[in-house]
Amino acid sequence: MLPSGRRLDRATALFVSLLAVGFLVATFDVRASGESATGILRSGVQTLAEPVQRGIDFVVRPAVGFIDGISNVAGLRDQNERLVAEVGRLEQRLRETAALERRVRELEAINDLAPPEDLAAITARIYSSGASTFDEVRFIDKGSSHGIVEGQAVMDESGLVGRVDLVTPSSARVRLITDPIVSVGVRLQDTNQTGAVTGRGDDLLRLDMFDASEPVREGVVVLTDGSLFPPGIVVGFVNETKAADVGFALRTTVEPAAEFSTLDFVKVVIGWSPLDVDPATGDPLVDAPSFTDPGSVRE
Amino acid sequence: MTNVKIFIALGLVVGAALIQTTVFQHVRPFGYAPALGLLTVIAIARLLDPEPTLFVAFTGGFLQDLLGGAPLGLWASAFTVVAFVTLKVRDREVAGPIAVLAGVFGLTLLGQFTFAILGTLFGQSIINRPGFFGHLVVPAILNMLLAYPVFWVARMAVRPGERTWAA
Repeated sequence: MLPSGRRLDRATALFVSLLAVGFLVATFDVRASGESATGILRSGVQTLAEPVQRGIDFVVRPAVGFIDGISNVAGLRDQNERLVAEVGRLEQRLRETAALERRVRELEAINDLAPPEDLAAITARIYSSGASTFDEVRFIDKGSSHGIVEGQAVMDESGLVGRVDLVTPSSARVRLITDPIVSVGVRLQDTNQTGAVTGRGDDLLRLDMFDASEPVREGVVVLTDGSLFPPGIVVGFVNETKAADVGFALRTTVEPAAEFSTLDFVKVVIGWSPLDVDPATGDPLVDAPSFTDPGSVRE
Repeated sequence: MTNVKIFIALGLVVGAALIQTTVFQHVRPFGYAPALGLLTVIAIARLLDPEPTLFVAFTGGFLQDLLGGAPLGLWASAFTVVAFVTLKVRDREVAGPIAVLAGVFGLTLLGQFTFAILGTLFGQSIINRPGFFGHLVVPAILNMLLAYPVFWVARMAVRPGERTWAA
């Protein structure tokens, strides 16, 4: 079945044509920011694929859980010892941060940044991940018919997970905060200094502070500042103590509070909209930094 | 070449995309997932004529784009490149398991790298990620492990008239 020279030439021409189409589509999609025809196409395909994906997930999840359970029996004793030590360490941290929390509450009251006590949220289950190892997205089994719109914050029991960036009637895509094109406005719990956390594509986040008058200490809690996400959601913990390098600029890393490798159920906060984001679409209004715009990360 | 074979090949890449987004959400050896879509395209490129292969590869990549988070067209282009290179090398006089596995490793690496380059050009910040090398190499190694089962499934489904390297 060796292709003849003529057929190979046709194949080469087709290859070049398809590459050109791929580039054109990519350019169009980036320029349209996922809106218009490409957004409709994504939603349509996601709607079609969702029942099959859910079905496969329904079958595979228990099997994987069973195998995981068996393989983990031997390690349960070690895990228990580690957890006991972890509880002791966390209790110590709680005692140490009690005074700081009081101070933060006072500052929140002054700055009107206190997290809303009763944010309306719905629980959703993750049924699918991205299609490649480079994708930092998850798909959840709730959509616009449950009150979800683009831009809403997604959390797990530990902290911020990401932001809804594509919605169909019965499902939604969540872009994780570990994605390098995602940036979150944050403040530090101890000093209330503000900055931006950006994904790196791995298990750490990058914290940039532009007016750091005090050093940042390891272990300090990093919270959302209320610009694009509800204020007061735990984003993570400072991973490395750092002082400002040049002027007041500072860069360090943050360990996310959410455990992305074991995400199962998440909460979508549907009862809060930032002032600078259109509540209907989740799109930032004029002059607001775009969540998915790499340019929103000020260097 | 019948249209039936092309539709079967399309079904295989659709199935690969669905398995990739569900099964390999849970099963992630070393924290990475294999690139099943790329592996399926390599398998199909060994069995179909050039034009249908390129068409199936582009369509499969486009579907992977639609089910993922990157701009549309990037995986479509990467899949097409891998299919084209596979078509170029499939009839070389090299055979045997080692050559096949090396080919799968190299072609998967090529596809992943092509996507990384294109993704970076289109603002996805892929190449400068920490652990980027692992994202390239580990899926290629996992694809080597899955190569023969996937090749077998593809051959049984498409049933070509003849066997090419290591079929």
